[in-house]
Amino acid sequence: MTFRRVLIANRGEIAIRIARACREAGLESIAVYSDADRDAPHTCAADRAVRIGAAPATQSYLSIDAIVEAARATSAEAVHPGYGFLSENATFAAACERAGLVFIGPSAGVIQRMGSKVAARELMSSAGVPIVPGVTATDQSDAGILSAAGQLGFPVLVKASAGGGGKGMRAIRDEQSASELIAAARREAIAAFGDGTLYLERLIDKPRHVEVQVFGDSHGNIVHLFERECSIQRRHQKVVEESPSPALTEPVRARMTEAAVAAARAAGYVNAGTIEFLLEGSGDDARFYFLEVNTRLQVEHPVTEALTGVDLVRAQFTVAAGGRLPWTQPEITRRGHAIECRIYAEDPAGGFLPQAGPLLVYREPGGPGLRIDSGVIEGGTVSVHYDPLLAKLTAAAESRDAAIARALAALKRFPILGIRTNVPFLIRLLEHADMRSARVHTRFIEDHALELLTARDTPVEALAAAAAIGPASETLPSSAGTPPSTASDPWATIRGWGR
Amino acid sequence: MERRLIITDERGEHSVTVFDDGRVIVDDAPIVTSIAGAGEIRLGPEGSTVAWVATAGEMRWVFLNGSVYELETQSAGRRRRRATSSHSSLSAPMPATVIRVEVSPGGHVRRGDTLVILEAMKMELPIRADTDGTVTTVSCKPGDLVQPGVPLVEIE
Repeated sequence: MTFRRVLIANRGEIAIRIARACREAGLESIAVYSDADRDAPHTCAADRAVRIGAAPATQSYLSIDAIVEAARATSAEAVHPGYGFLSENATFAAACERAGLVFIGPSAGVIQRMGSKVAARELMSSAGVPIVPGVTATDQSDAGILSAAGQLGFPVLVKASAGGGGKGMRAIRDEQSASELIAAARREAIAAFGDGTLYLERLIDKPRHVEVQVFGDSHGNIVHLFERECSIQRRHQKVVEESPSPALTEPVRARMTEAAVAAARAAGYVNAGTIEFLLEGSGDDARFYFLEVNTRLQVEHPVTEALTGVDLVRAQFTVAAGGRLPWTQPEITRRGHAIECRIYAEDPAGGFLPQAGPLLVYREPGGPGLRIDSGVIEGGTVSVHYDPLLAKLTAAAESRDAAIARALAALKRFPILGIRTNVPFLIRLLEHADMRSARVHTRFIEDHALELLTARDTPVEALAAAAAIGPASETLPSSAGTPPSTASDPWATIRGWGR
Repeated sequence: MERRLIITDERGEHSVTVFDDGRVIVDDAPIVTSIAGAGEIRLGPEGSTVAWVATAGEMRWVFLNGSVYELETQSAGRRRRRATSSHSSLSAPMPATVIRVEVSPGGHVRRGDTLVILEAMKMELPIRADTDGTVTTVSCKPGDLVQPGVPLVEIE
């Protein structure tokens, strides 16, 4: 099962992260790229690079055939899927197994079982892991669903049984509004998944999202590497993650990590994975409920690496090659605090809409306790084809306050110009009093949008800097009739960010 | 030699004078500037404040203390009149699928009204009117895959 040559089936910062780990572990690495990524930084980060197809992900990074063929053509012996794309695709894991490739992750069977919400929930429940009380009503008529909701107790969340991604999801707070919301949820469920079956669960208001990093090997060892607090989200995507979670007391942490290990054991989990929980309430009485298993390396894994000093990707190689976990549970310790900010090409004031365009200026900050994982360079272009994540900034320090201060100081020295990014937004977020005192929940950004997004006046220094950089109007024909770049873009209004 | 500029931000216009020695006067306030590197400007008498600037045509992107400002610059002498936009055409910012169309030709819309809802990158993206007016053309329907730059709705 040992391997010497790893194909990295991903792009951007995670592909670069994995290529680095390969080099450090003495493994050969092979990058793959689409036509849009011919000159992308990840393409030259590995020992070799192979073209796998056209720019759309379905024809390249999501094409199982193209990636397995690239592995065959380069005599790769293992495949690291990264996150996103095919990383949680059981068919891909099975295709790798069939092609004689070591898939660096859990088995196809585990990915498939954990990918089904219903199956995962049943398994966790039988393993004694707490789950959110919920039910699929046997009577799917409006009246049947209403009565099931009454039994669970309002407020409830109705969801499409067949799928996720927020489609067909409605919060029902009382009986009066119920029938209209049930009908809307059913319509959406049918439209999105061709199946109108609705699932009901108790709505947990303003929960926190806390997850536990687990790691198993093929010798039956399973450990946890503590939790990550990921409550700061927009559109169900995480923006800031930290560890330790300021919301967990030691007894709750002990119970949650124990439940996560039990969940991983019940699933027969091998390699790196994450057990996500919703946390309700506070103090020693806080309750947590199983949400889902992420059967892959997480975007936010640097938080855990910074906190515990381990190398999760290198451990993935060891375990995938049939080796034992490099650590026993008592050997895994943490020190201080780590916080990660995801830097996206997006317009926070325009509904967090992804942005594409040239990176005219892109200068990463540096310094002690700071880690930047990035997949872009100055002069490069952010394309419309892929996820708008540009970089992850992870700051570690001796306390939460010091880690936040370190992240803030670094963000204020992280100029990215040419496209809109969420850097100014992240600064306001980290400076927010409720963030500093850790009073956060999964709706934090929506609830505080006004304070986080209001534009402020342009300081005279910014105007002076704009004027100092050379004559205006010299590069454009003076007959240009419309202001540049903004005319056809409905979200683009010229806007400045205050500090 | 001095250069006189008009710089526009979203709140309005500022008149700026730039001297060859790096002194800049912004709305009567004097500031000393010096170029520290590619796109890097030092500000203040000790040069203790640093800003980064990128140029895209008449537009200036400025990064200062973690804030980003998108500014439009014009030579004061060659000031052109701002185009008064009586016609507006709205398109997708990226390849996307049309989920819903909320307007039809002849309908009146106000600036900020949602016209079309797109889906891309697992997210719903509302296309909003950038001006008050009457919808003249709707050239998409639910389920269409649309490309950036192709007009979806036109307003007059």
